[in-house]
Amino acid sequence: MRASKLVGTVASAMTAAALMVAPAAAGGAAETARAADKVVQLPIRTDGPKSLDPVEGSTTYDNMACVQFYETLLTNKYASPMEMEPLLLAEMPVSEDGGKTWRFRLKEGVRFHDNQCFPGGKGRVVTPDDVFYSLKRIGDDEYKLENWWLLSGTILGFDEYVEAQNTADEFDYDAPVPGFRTLSSTEFEIELTKPVYRFLYILGMFQTSVVPREAVEFYGEDFSRNPVGTGPFILDTWVPKQSLTADANPNYHEVFYPARDEWSREDRRARLHRAAGKQVPFVDRIEFTMFAEDQPLWLEFNKGNLGYTEVPEDYFTEAFDRSSRELKEEYLRQDIRAHANQLLDFTFRGFNMEDELLGGYTEEKRALRRAISYAIDLDEINETFYNGRRFVYDGPIPPGLDGHPEGGRAEAAARGRNIAKAREMLVAAGYPDGEGLPPIRFYTAQNTINNAVSEMVKRQLEEVNIKFEPIFLDFSTLIETVNKKKSPMFGFAWSSDYPDGENNLALFYGPNESPGSNHYNYKNPEYDALYEQILTMPPSSERTAIYEKMRDMVLHDCVYVGGMARERFYLIQPWLLNCKPTERYYGWFKYLDVDDSKR
Amino acid sequence: MWNYIVRRTLYNIPVFLAIIFVVMAALRVNDPVSAQLGKNASQEQVDLLTQEYGLDDPFVVQYWDFLKGLATIWNYDARSWDQGLPVSEMIAKAIPPSMAVTIPTLAMTALISICVGLVSAANRGRGLDRSLMFVAVIGMSISVLVYIIIGQYFGAFRPSQNIDGWPFQVTVDASAGESAFFFFSPANWISYCMLPVMINVVVALGYDTRFYRAVMVEESQRDYIRTARAKGASRARVMFIHMLKNAMIPIITRIMISLPFIITGSILVEVYFGIPGMGRTLINAINAKDFPVIQTFTALFTALFIASNILTDVLYALVDPRVRLQ
Repeated sequence: MRASKLVGTVASAMTAAALMVAPAAAGGAAETARAADKVVQLPIRTDGPKSLDPVEGSTTYDNMACVQFYETLLTNKYASPMEMEPLLLAEMPVSEDGGKTWRFRLKEGVRFHDNQCFPGGKGRVVTPDDVFYSLKRIGDDEYKLENWWLLSGTILGFDEYVEAQNTADEFDYDAPVPGFRTLSSTEFEIELTKPVYRFLYILGMFQTSVVPREAVEFYGEDFSRNPVGTGPFILDTWVPKQSLTADANPNYHEVFYPARDEWSREDRRARLHRAAGKQVPFVDRIEFTMFAEDQPLWLEFNKGNLGYTEVPEDYFTEAFDRSSRELKEEYLRQDIRAHANQLLDFTFRGFNMEDELLGGYTEEKRALRRAISYAIDLDEINETFYNGRRFVYDGPIPPGLDGHPEGGRAEAAARGRNIAKAREMLVAAGYPDGEGLPPIRFYTAQNTINNAVSEMVKRQLEEVNIKFEPIFLDFSTLIETVNKKKSPMFGFAWSSDYPDGENNLALFYGPNESPGSNHYNYKNPEYDALYEQILTMPPSSERTAIYEKMRDMVLHDCVYVGGMARERFYLIQPWLLNCKPTERYYGWFKYLDVDDSKR
Repeated sequence: MWNYIVRRTLYNIPVFLAIIFVVMAALRVNDPVSAQLGKNASQEQVDLLTQEYGLDDPFVVQYWDFLKGLATIWNYDARSWDQGLPVSEMIAKAIPPSMAVTIPTLAMTALISICVGLVSAANRGRGLDRSLMFVAVIGMSISVLVYIIIGQYFGAFRPSQNIDGWPFQVTVDASAGESAFFFFSPANWISYCMLPVMINVVVALGYDTRFYRAVMVEESQRDYIRTARAKGASRARVMFIHMLKNAMIPIITRIMISLPFIITGSILVEVYFGIPGMGRTLINAINAKDFPVIQTFTALFTALFIASNILTDVLYALVDPRVRLQ
């Protein structure tokens, strides 16, 4: 009895102590927060950015953090994120020679953050030289060339400049690039090697953000932790993998909330237009917390401590009705809003076209891949594991973009499940009823869902006597294996960098073979020639027709089984105003506002 | 004694070097460059990064370079590949938050489990003993993850919905900022560390209680206990003075084995409760294949383990005059 009393006493003492100090605890937390009128708390799912230097960034989380401090020449529109608009520019760039030479005019008086790297600590005005300097950094191998693919082969004389500087003793940022021309203190031109339509999208990507040379040189190796840009927020603290806080930039240039007529009727019903025409940002401080696990994220949102959250897969049915996908009553009662985003996503099971068994371009090899594709039922996978929330479609171009087939179906596809076709294809491949066919080794990332999905695929393929051997690896080992062309079949996903089907079609462009983004190692000279052609074409019905032709070539050769696009669901607290989460870009946090009376 | 310490330290240097050698070799089975560069890497980038990380050097050269860095510990300049921060700074910032959880955990676990072990041993075979051991076995059988998930839900989230000012927080929020000593203020400690400590204590109690009970049962069968009882010593005196003192050797061993973990922290608790400690730093480094951090962590942990082993022997001699250090 004495022992149980002791345990009981200790437990009671701990609870009592906890309750007694509760007010102090609350006070302590309040003290640590900066005195600010409006603070918005937001989550970053996973462990957040690895660098705050745009040229070193590549992930969604690097993007999410960097764009609070840095800005690009162009950006996506908040009200319609598939469209672009000027950000550091006064107007959209113009070209008088069909897209080969672009003329830019910077917005007047945009200043960098006040920072000790500038004389007197006062941020100076952005000039064309800053733009050129920032683009040159992308080619500097000191920054691992992580984003060089964005500009490689694009700007006149730039590749030659980069090669020369990277082989020299020191990278000379003052050396001229023929394609960069300064016209005045606010105007400049960039001449391309040929018209490359995606160039304007690239100028909206966070990696091309404008940074001041003084800051890079002042902070040296620590520049990635001391962002100095023109963005709406100024970094206060960054604890990697933990949290990031920033205060509103008091000198932020004129950026106004989208006008009423930019919003759709549905958005206006959600009162998203209420701040139309007002200068941003609205909040004084923004606080991000990183969540490597879903439970803490979910509980913190439910406590009301986070402005919005993605709904993690495991918690979907807690928030939404499984069949109707309507928000549950308990959330509606709290005035919590739901928002769904169709992602520009392409998840697939790819074939290595150089593999002895599955690769190759002969009729037999093509038939074998098509047999596998016909035997796999993606709809069953979607229903079983994702509550039917994914969109199954043919071709590599996600929904909403030119080249995506109507209704998601293309005739050239070997869409499963079609057992009769699968058997027919096996005969054509020389493996009637699967006889003599070695097991198919499939490499995928190790996680609970992948394990279960692979079991289902195994069962589906067994019905046509195809043996399936899933091999589960941690993600980096998976990348390494695929990069080294060692995986006959592999599971990957691709999120479009910009809203143009060209980005996805690049995945099958021969010169991009592994370790580049063409992990299938697909090589088709006709396809490559078409790809080079579309790079120079603006959107048009002619270009769309080529997209469709390229899509069907890939489907005919059956380079992968798939694809699927995810739909992401968000919940938004009633106190978070102006919030329309999008994953097309992350510069929209400046539009957020809070109504503390609703907390 | 100092001779003994110096000698044991020298004996352990080959062990230290061998452990680092094995860990470094095991890490290099997989290529970290692919993990860093992702799915779009060109061969040029792969080569560039391999060279930058020094992975193109022979393994022995890499091993030697790392040891050289450690030898000049006062000037240790290794940087994390993943975050670009100096590793020494990362570790220095991660140790205090870990300690805010592990020190109270160790102290409370030892105190409670020794007491429960004593009570259980004193009531050996009776209902109380069986009940305590039943609870201990149940406690041991449940995964730590279950304790964390349930503890976080019922210890922090659920009560906060019903009780105003409930102090325990689900996770550390951005207000913690950059200060490594944030968790040492009593209010913050209660908000963010007390619940993780309680969960850790519950998790550890099962193992420790069974261990201490076994030790106490063995001691309770010794002749000196019978003699003490025969001389009329009270039950409490027998237990807390005679028995406890003589059981100090295994108790010290148990506690000393746990000492390195004070620094290294607890991975799951830190990840779930958002405590920026050593456990979380290590798991992040492993996920990112951040070799400089993993290697430094290994060296630190090995050194601590060796130091605690030596210290354990020294403490044996201090608490038991029969033990001589030779």
